[in-house]
Amino acid sequence: MSETAVLDDNAREEDELVVDHSGDSGEHHDDGHHSSLGISNTKLAMWLFLGSECLLFGALISTYLLSKANFMTQVLAGNPKVLATLTKLKEVAPEKYEEILEEGSVEPLFDILFTSASSFILLMSSLTMVLSHKAVSEADYRASRIWLGATALLGSIFIAGQVYEFTVFYNEGIYFNKNLFGSAFYTLTGFHGVHVTVGIIMLASLLIMSMRGKLNQDRAETVEIVGLYWHFVDIVWVLIFTIVYLIP
Amino acid sequence: MSDSATHDAHAHPQEKQYWAIFVVLFVLTAVEVAWSYLGFEGVSLVVPLLVMMFVKFILVAGGFMHLYYDAKLLNGKLFSWTFAAGLILTLLVFLAVFAAFEFPS
Repeated sequence: MSETAVLDDNAREEDELVVDHSGDSGEHHDDGHHSSLGISNTKLAMWLFLGSECLLFGALISTYLLSKANFMTQVLAGNPKVLATLTKLKEVAPEKYEEILEEGSVEPLFDILFTSASSFILLMSSLTMVLSHKAVSEADYRASRIWLGATALLGSIFIAGQVYEFTVFYNEGIYFNKNLFGSAFYTLTGFHGVHVTVGIIMLASLLIMSMRGKLNQDRAETVEIVGLYWHFVDIVWVLIFTIVYLIP
Repeated sequence: MSDSATHDAHAHPQEKQYWAIFVVLFVLTAVEVAWSYLGFEGVSLVVPLLVMMFVKFILVAGGFMHLYYDAKLLNGKLFSWTFAAGLILTLLVFLAVFAAFEFPS
């Protein structure tokens, strides 16, 4: 037997082992070995990465809540540094300063209706993402490209909205390094924005792969894994929208 | 149709189910925004908003991320508990942090 034939036999045996290990010979994909949890290693790796991301965003949300509470506590306690920040705000945006004093918080700066529209856009992008995965699973590559493009476009609109919101806040005198609220708010929403941007780059890469004919039915799980990341980013925004924007 | 496609067709929701999930998410977000404008304060404002947020979380994770279907079909118990254990641990850690900082209610 030639060396090539021996290698082919070994490869076949490995394939059979992979199928047996999955516990369901009718469910295997071509794009990765299966872990003992029943899913492919690549998909499991993404889930583990998302688990670590949960801790990251959990820490950022907690920091925001604690900083916000501390900020208002320090205003009431007369912390000179915090009061100096408010004095500066009085010079830059006197109307907002009055609003803050009346409302007792910085939340009047939030434009809830605008942010609601951003939330709808991001939720819609999650729908187009799953439709893209479904299309590529069914070998409907044209539809898959349309949905991938739509997802990237909706994500870009969301980012444009966030840039607009940050610009408004900046013009109102809320800077990253001016107070605890600014630092915590920009860090939390900024990190989320960076994640959305990375997701858009992933989607653009998939779109290019698809246009070059390299994203076929056998690689549907690649789209699903990028989708997992995208939906996670959506979930984080669901939390941020309620906790940061809607709850005083 | 390949094995892979057959698996996906059975394991994951149909297109109309995705649309149904999206409509529910859309409606819940609209209700959330409306609720925040209705003038409720304290518990009557925060608890319904948190409940709706949790439902949206479950819908996206379970439906769009296929967690419900994957956990059901692929070695269910171990897969489910891997995430449930992490989630419970995370919640306990954050509760401990809030308690440590005496976070006001």
